[in-house]
Order: sequence, then structure tokens, then C-alpha cells
Amino acid sequence: MDIVILFVLMVTGLTIWRGAPRWLVLGCWSLALVMMLALFRYHVTSSLGLSF
Amino acid sequence: MKALLPRLVFWSLNLWILGYTLVIGLALLLQFAEGELPCPLCMLQRYGMIASTLGALWIVRQAVSGRLTPATYVQGFGLGALGAFAGAMFSARQVMLHILPGDQGYGAPVLGLHLYSWAFVTFMVVIVFTALLGILAPAALPEAPRENSLAARIASLIGFAFLAIVAINAVMIVFLEGFNWVLPDNPTAYALFGR
Repeated sequence: MDIVILFVLMVTGLTIWRGAPRWLVLGCWSLALVMMLALFRYHVTSSLGLSF
Repeated sequence: MKALLPRLVFWSLNLWILGYTLVIGLALLLQFAEGELPCPLCMLQRYGMIASTLGALWIVRQAVSGRLTPATYVQGFGLGALGAFAGAMFSARQVMLHILPGDQGYGAPVLGLHLYSWAFVTFMVVIVFTALLGILAPAALPEAPRENSLAARIASLIGFAFLAIVAINAVMIVFLEGFNWVLPDNPTAYALFGR
């Protein structure tokens, strides 16, 4: 998953660098963000044992 | 003042790109020189930094090519703020994991704070920065230097350095993750080497 996220982020960077259309930049970036949030959700498996 | 502000915004966006390039570069340096392998939350914070910086890079590249519109300017800040917010969420989670008294934290501290604490600070700075530039938006559409000038080359070099750091991370993560779908909670070796 990390490999895919970094690959998509790199592709987003290249689309920006090459001046690609807006929809492509926003699409790639959004895809990366969704995958980041999904990975975060996967790794957060326990509630924090904190009491303030 | 009117002519100065757009140039100031252009270079402050470059400073944002350069800043995160150096931060991620420092994290890579610690990883390779000190053997401090990044945990899954550490990597997520790097992704947050990259996603956030892509917003700034988009604005700068559009400005340099002379195609920057107010819509792209605002959308670039949207990407920057949202990426920083996601990164702040990841780093806050890691800060909370190590907030109890006596906890040594993950990795070695740098200048008194752990890297995830510094990451949280930088994400907050980016969010405030994007908010301020959003307020100034009508007068602050960045003005890029003339094409082929030294300043334009410096801006391109900064953008290229950022993309190079992203590429190095992309290669590194293949070695770190190997054929696994996700990173282990506490990586102790590069999984591709199987040790």
C-alpha cells in the first residue's frame, strides 16, 4: 500500500511538473489522499489509553 | 507594496517546497546514516508533507508557465491545507501514543523534540500560512520571475529537488516494504532483503 501511495504521489508531482490538465492533478492527488486515510485507518487498531 | 506582494508570495511558496524537501531529506539522512527505520505513522507523515507540498508546487509551476489562474491558486492552497491537515492528524496520533510520562518516544529526539512532534508543528505552520495567503488572495496572486532568468532557474531547481526526494522515498519504500502489503508496526530491517 505504501508503495502504491508513493507511486501515485510521484505521478501527481510529474503531472504538475508537466502542466497536465486540472482534473488529472486533482484526481491523482485525491486518490493518494484517500489511500493515505485508508492506510491510517488500517494502522489505528486500538484506542488510546489516555485519561485527562 | 502591490508589486512586492506577488513576488513575496512566489518565493514563500518556494520556501515551503524547499522546507519540506529539507525536512524529508533530513528524515532520510537519519534513516540511512543512523539506521532509524521509519514506522508506518512516520511514513504517513511524510506522505502528508508530500501531498501538502504538491499544492505549493502546482501554484509555482503554473505561475512559472504563465498559466496561473485564481482558481488554480485557490485549489493549490486547498491541496496544501488538506494535505497538512491529514499530516497533522497522523502526527497527533503518534504524539498521543507517546505522551504518557516515562515514555521514551519513537526514535531519537532532534533539538529536543521527536520528529513526529516537529512534523505536527510544521503542519500547523502550513495550515496557518495557507489561511493567511487565502485572506490576501485578491492581491497576492504570485508573480513568477522571467523565464530563463536566474530566479526562474532557482525555482525550478527547488521543485526538481522536491520531486527527487519523492522519487528517493519511492525507491526506498520498495526496499523497506518488500513484498508485504503494509509496513510492520516497528520495522527493524529492509523487508526486501529478508533480514
